[in-house]
Amino acid sequence: MNVRPAALQSWLGKAGRRLASGLLAEPLEHVRALPFRDAGHGYDLFGYEPLHAAFGLAALEQLHRHWFRVRSHGAEHVPAQGPAILVGNHSGTLPFDAMMLWTDVVLRRQRLPRAVADYFVPTLPFVSTLYARGGVVGGTVGNLRVLLEAGELLMIFPEGVPGISKPFRERYQLKEFRVGHAELAIRHQAPVVPVGIVGAEEQMPQLGRLPLQAFGVPYVPVTLTPFPLPVRYHLLYGEPLRLHEGLRPEDADDPEVVRRAAERVRGAVQELVERGLRQREGVFR
Amino acid sequence: MSGPSGWRAPRGVLVLGASTPLGERLCRALLADPELRAVLAVGKEPRERVRLPEDARLRYQPVDITHARHVHDLLFGPARELGVDVVVDLAMHRANDFGRSVHVQNVESLRWLLSLAERHPTVRRVVFRSYAEVYRVEPGLPSVITEDHPLELSPEAPQWVRDRVEADVLACVKLGLAPGLEIAVLRCAEVLAPHEGSQLHDYLSAPVCLRSAGFDPMLNVLALEDAAEALRLAVYAGGTRGIFNIPGADTLPLSGCIRLAGRLDVPVPGPLLAPAYEARRRLRGGQFSYRINRGRFHLAAVLDGTLALRTLGYAPHDRVVWTNPGR
Repeated sequence: MNVRPAALQSWLGKAGRRLASGLLAEPLEHVRALPFRDAGHGYDLFGYEPLHAAFGLAALEQLHRHWFRVRSHGAEHVPAQGPAILVGNHSGTLPFDAMMLWTDVVLRRQRLPRAVADYFVPTLPFVSTLYARGGVVGGTVGNLRVLLEAGELLMIFPEGVPGISKPFRERYQLKEFRVGHAELAIRHQAPVVPVGIVGAEEQMPQLGRLPLQAFGVPYVPVTLTPFPLPVRYHLLYGEPLRLHEGLRPEDADDPEVVRRAAERVRGAVQELVERGLRQREGVFR
Repeated sequence: MSGPSGWRAPRGVLVLGASTPLGERLCRALLADPELRAVLAVGKEPRERVRLPEDARLRYQPVDITHARHVHDLLFGPARELGVDVVVDLAMHRANDFGRSVHVQNVESLRWLLSLAERHPTVRRVVFRSYAEVYRVEPGLPSVITEDHPLELSPEAPQWVRDRVEADVLACVKLGLAPGLEIAVLRCAEVLAPHEGSQLHDYLSAPVCLRSAGFDPMLNVLALEDAAEALRLAVYAGGTRGIFNIPGADTLPLSGCIRLAGRLDVPVPGPLLAPAYEARRRLRGGQFSYRINRGRFHLAAVLDGTLALRTLGYAPHDRVVWTNPGR
């Protein structure tokens, strides 16, 4: 039998997709119900693709339900439609906090949050592709403008790498917020939903860092455990902040206005974190 | 980007690069307008090797545009005689060659053309076909590219890219400096068709397509039909000037391109790609250069066509024909 390798590869690919569609029927149905702008071949402009997202949802849902046992408070504050920005605190060495927030919003609000990644993420082999298929975008103003104009929901962690990489002794002390989210919110008249994430700080206590750089990653963390501990996550959504109220889009060019707006968001996130810490009964409970 | 003017339909159109598949298609589209009086088609090849339609309004003239005198005589000879008021420049060297003569064809001929058009008695509009490859693709830059995206000005860029950037910048400078001349620069996504100088087409013509393991960036490609339509709209968009991205209807990952082209997709470690494709180029004579495509083989780069839609009324409709790109 003379089978062309490319034809065989294509056949295997199609068979794999069919098998995955069958195995992932439930998450796929859920993901397909999410609004999505197909750019023509089943992907959106940024590389999001429902089958890959369903695969991600199937895996993350297990972590969400059984490993981190996420408790969600106030998810109804996430707008059902229209441009909006979720802003949370970032911690935990590896971005499980972003993954749990993504899963929580997908499951509870039927919306696809577009996680905004740092500049180095698109340069990471495999990770960049997996993230893109799940809807993650590089954090450039141009990309975010396109998404907000299309009425999408962004998920931003303004502390960036300093937040996720902070040592254990500094847990739940928010780092300085970058101000891009506030500028975007004012310019695009989009509400900001603050989110306090409690639990992630204890999942992989960081002991130190190795100053090794590859693919733009700023360092290699040294952690107490090689995988995240089964801490209980608490996600606390605050009421939407309408930073743009009383402002014009062009006020987003005023550094003082933007700085004050970012401080307001930071204060709201800090308050939610503190509330979550007060309410929880223990790290694992 | 657009400006007011006493708009009128073009009377005569000069098409430089009319012997290319895109040029031929544009000439046919222009001739479909019965109001158009003349199409002056210019190419390097003799008439019998060019597949242009027989039409009393079409005149084909072989001209070597690497000589300033020839360009001058073309514009102030037949073009003036036919009352050409719009010039379309598609005459970029298509093959991945380098050297002085290639540069002259790509850049200097455009410089002469623009200078001459400025003082020409009948020409009022120039449409320049530029390329999406003029944009820089690197981490930290948006993956959806608008017209103000940074250009690839790296001195390490291959001549294929440098010439395209220089020609584009030249047209953009004239756009600001020549108020009497309407210039439209169309930065077209890659036209995935044979004999169009498409790097991706050449890449996909090999039975095995190597790509960098772990990276599967989003690409946007343009069908010949849409490219010709965008140029036709720009010819008729009298009174408008500016830079316009021309995206295609196909936005998909690189692996999807390989699959649709019926090729074997083989991810390999990134550092092996440059030597592998350089060896292929030397041994098999292909046109694909990994150096030209390194950025977009790792990072997504998709043109935003909002401005072209708003100003020219261009929206992509036609999908690329993916089967048998080797033909």
